[in-house]
Amino acid sequence: MTQLLNTETKLQVCANYLFSPVLLCHLFSSLLAYSNVGNMVQDTAALLCAVVPCFMIDDCVEGMIIPDKVVTVVCGTYFSENALLPGLVKGEFDEDAVAKVYQSELLDEAARYPDGKYAGKNVYAILRAPRSSSTEAVVLSVPYRPPSSVHPGTTPSVAVMLALAKFFRRQKYWAKDVIFLVTEHEQLGVQAWLEAYHKATCGRSGVLDHGDMMGRGGAIQAAINLELHAEKIGYIDVKIEGLNGQLPNLDLVNLVHRMCSKEGVRHTFKNRENGNYRNWYKEWLHSFKTLMAMVTTQATGVPNGNHGLFHSRFGIEAVTLEGFEKKGKGSPALYFQMGRVLEGLFRSLNNLLERFHQSYFFYLLPATDRFISIGMYMPPLGLLCGALIIKAFALWLKMQEDPTKILPAEKEAAAEGSSNHFSLVPVGMTVLSTHVLGIVLLSSPQVLSSLGAEFGLSTETSIYVGYLVISLGYLFCLLFSSVGATVESWPVLNIVALLELATLMLCTSLQNFSLALLSTVVYVPPGLWMAPTRNRILNILQKAFWLLLHPLCLLSLVVMTYTALTFPDEPVSELLERGFTATRQALVYAVVDSYVYANWVFPVATAILLPIWLQFWVVLHSSPHQKESRNI
Amino acid sequence: MENLIYLEYAVAGIIRYWLLNSDYKQTIGDRVEISTPLNSWRKVTEGAYLYNEGINPYVGDNFHETPLGLTVFDKMISHIPQWIGIIFIVCDLVTAHVLYHTAQIFMSELVEKDKYAKDTEALLLKQSDLVLPPVYVASAYLFNPYIIFSCVGQTTTVFANLCLAFTFLLMIKGHRLACCSVLALATLQSLYPATLLVPASIYLAQAERTSSLEGRQSLRASSFILTAVTFIAALLLLLYISSELAGGWEFLHATYGFILNVPDLRPNVGLFWYFFTEMFENFRLLFIYAFQINAALLYLVPLTLRLHGEPMLLAASLTALMAVFKSYPSLGDVGFYLALLPMWKHLFNYMQQGFVVGCFFLITSVMGPIVWHLWIYSRSANANFYFGVTLAFATAQIFLVTDILFAYIKREFSLYHGLHREVNGKTTKLVLE
Repeated sequence: MTQLLNTETKLQVCANYLFSPVLLCHLFSSLLAYSNVGNMVQDTAALLCAVVPCFMIDDCVEGMIIPDKVVTVVCGTYFSENALLPGLVKGEFDEDAVAKVYQSELLDEAARYPDGKYAGKNVYAILRAPRSSSTEAVVLSVPYRPPSSVHPGTTPSVAVMLALAKFFRRQKYWAKDVIFLVTEHEQLGVQAWLEAYHKATCGRSGVLDHGDMMGRGGAIQAAINLELHAEKIGYIDVKIEGLNGQLPNLDLVNLVHRMCSKEGVRHTFKNRENGNYRNWYKEWLHSFKTLMAMVTTQATGVPNGNHGLFHSRFGIEAVTLEGFEKKGKGSPALYFQMGRVLEGLFRSLNNLLERFHQSYFFYLLPATDRFISIGMYMPPLGLLCGALIIKAFALWLKMQEDPTKILPAEKEAAAEGSSNHFSLVPVGMTVLSTHVLGIVLLSSPQVLSSLGAEFGLSTETSIYVGYLVISLGYLFCLLFSSVGATVESWPVLNIVALLELATLMLCTSLQNFSLALLSTVVYVPPGLWMAPTRNRILNILQKAFWLLLHPLCLLSLVVMTYTALTFPDEPVSELLERGFTATRQALVYAVVDSYVYANWVFPVATAILLPIWLQFWVVLHSSPHQKESRNI
Repeated sequence: MENLIYLEYAVAGIIRYWLLNSDYKQTIGDRVEISTPLNSWRKVTEGAYLYNEGINPYVGDNFHETPLGLTVFDKMISHIPQWIGIIFIVCDLVTAHVLYHTAQIFMSELVEKDKYAKDTEALLLKQSDLVLPPVYVASAYLFNPYIIFSCVGQTTTVFANLCLAFTFLLMIKGHRLACCSVLALATLQSLYPATLLVPASIYLAQAERTSSLEGRQSLRASSFILTAVTFIAALLLLLYISSELAGGWEFLHATYGFILNVPDLRPNVGLFWYFFTEMFENFRLLFIYAFQINAALLYLVPLTLRLHGEPMLLAASLTALMAVFKSYPSLGDVGFYLALLPMWKHLFNYMQQGFVVGCFFLITSVMGPIVWHLWIYSRSANANFYFGVTLAFATAQIFLVTDILFAYIKREFSLYHGLHREVNGKTTKLVLE
């Protein structure tokens, strides 16, 4: 039996190996790197480069396969914080009839103001805790959407909130203030409320005017954002991905799932229920798709709900509960069940003695009840970045050697002799100028926008075109610069670029693992094997490929693909136009997000990733080492 | 070469000026890696305000500059507030120029005579090897991000570095009185530079020997004593002036007491804060002694015994160890000794860990602020993450110091014993154990 299991596991490993193109791509790239090198030193280093992704394959395969058998890697979730006492008390909420009345009244009221009467206003109420002195608070927030909004309405959640408020007011057990918050204008409203509550500004000063507020509770410990789209709920989707890829504490996520199970409400993650297949491969594929859905959402760095703004800057654990309308047969979850779920959640949060700190903050979820912890997913990424560092080290060692001297004993002296006939000035100038360009681009959107306005262009177009012109202009400047001329300086520049890339990826992985994973997958393989060469075809291929990886180009590609996937029936010309518009808008959204919410994807991409890309570009344009020809 | 240097000064000045007038200034100045309680400009302005209000700034637990500094900064803040940024930039550029001169003089000392083993001609430094290092020294100071941030954040480390640079220059020039006075000024400001008295006195004694035209004579004890006495006299005089300016001796507790007792445990790049937050109060005094001895005195004797023939290297390594182990280190201190290293460019080929150390420096410097953000704002990481990064940073620095010292020893060994190292007919390798 055990043997059977073992073979099955092996099969799984093989299958996953085959089914992960990403990893194959790495193996391929490292093989290429391996074939590029000539002498002993680089042999070893490149071998390591090849081995590194293999490790990664091993790890990731384990990490991604169905966890029933490999329990050690993908753990079942569990509660770390004992104080939560989830679901220990009996639910008492019984105001569902009132909620129904509220709902119909709200609908009447909303119908009178189809465009939203309270322009840019948040409404909140604080239920003071009878058992303590307002030092801590929990938040229940609901985004208000007028009937004209493009998003599905949320009036049922306002109704539930009001009913809950009525119920909560009569209870004596509150030890934390409960803040009921209704926000307008989606995330902007939440951001303004949070900034006003904490009297802090996250983005650029003067962009978002948050105003001031009259009443405050204590330090906010946790927040639940409620978005119910109907009175009869089919299932609750739990959303966790926040600004800059920050996640709430896993205990809070567990708590929500636990309370939903207790009250018999169907609950999902990424709109996917846990798979229940008998075939291990189908089960694996189901989990893998859920996992990848999380990775892609997290990688954008944009919160997928109002909860996302709580955790990044203010350190408040928050999740969104989105309820979708019941379709088809079966019994739906009504106000009664929803009220009980929320009551249970808030009573558990009320029990907290310290802020959430016990459980994981860094994790990936392949299902509602299983998770991959940071200890499991970090090593592969570390190894990937390690490959870059090893490549840099190999280049460094190669530079230290001088081919003219043979005696090993004279190596030191030889190195001394050879190190004198090139200077670091051109390399330094290139590094400096690329970074200066990055900073110029980072601070240029406003200027570009006003410049474009003079020519009658929209903000979107002027920023996009401006970026295109500046970065292309710089490319041509580089073609005529002198860096490529000095033979010795390109390895130095290559080393600098490789190290910067590795550092960037490592640091990104701490904040936003998914983004780091996707960018390493894109940038590490070409970073490893790209080197100036005499082969003309290879040279052009390399350059063309690297041009595709220009951050702006990559953005366009991703948005185009996304558009094509969203509107599969449209003709190509229509798609291109749509995609182009979407790309320009995406760029502006990225800028606006960085100004308002302090989303750092745009600053990092322009001020750090772009200079690194340019450095690699310069390396590609340098003349290859003389030594190679001599060796041949 | 001269033109290149002036171009570098201009570019470095422009970078600093731009950053000083940009939005980044406040962010940089608030970083714990740059500003410690001991050197932050914020504290200086608070102290100057209290001083102007007629309140003794040393009574509270807020201000830790010397009275001499207080008077100067107070004059600056009240009379020429718009020039303060420029003063910082100019001081930084002057420091770079002083270091450039120091390196030039040091290079002329490096030209070696024929006293080594036979086949070592390849090792000996030629005149052409000695042209570039001074430029590298200046560039390493001007374009070192640590130094730039330290200047833009308006930390008083800029002035401490200026004093240190002058100490190095006057030391190598052999002006006893001036050197001791500047060293006393540096000591007054941050206490730890007192250890530099040892290399300075060796240098001054050497200078005396050379000027007495009797090359073979050994160093005279009287010279050492005279240097020490001059230094102590200068320091006492400065302390007396300080007490007159402050109207009492409370400042000693607020400055030296603060440096030695480490009461403020705000995180910084050093090693003190984490240990002392974790420590039981009963053992605090013991560990204060242990840490302070480690920072100031532990390495002084062994390094002096080994490197007395090379006082400049001794001074540089003491400065480096000081920057690693002192109670409130900042990146400005680290940048200063990093700028000295190109003087020993001829040793770089003997260094084995240069690349590793470089990677460490890069990654830890970038990761520090990120982990800090995760800890303080997002609250998803904790103090251990940040301490891990600072520990790695300190380890990298120690690697660097040991590596350069070992490189020096390896080269010296090769010079005296020749390049072909064979034991029983086999080629051997020097290993540090």
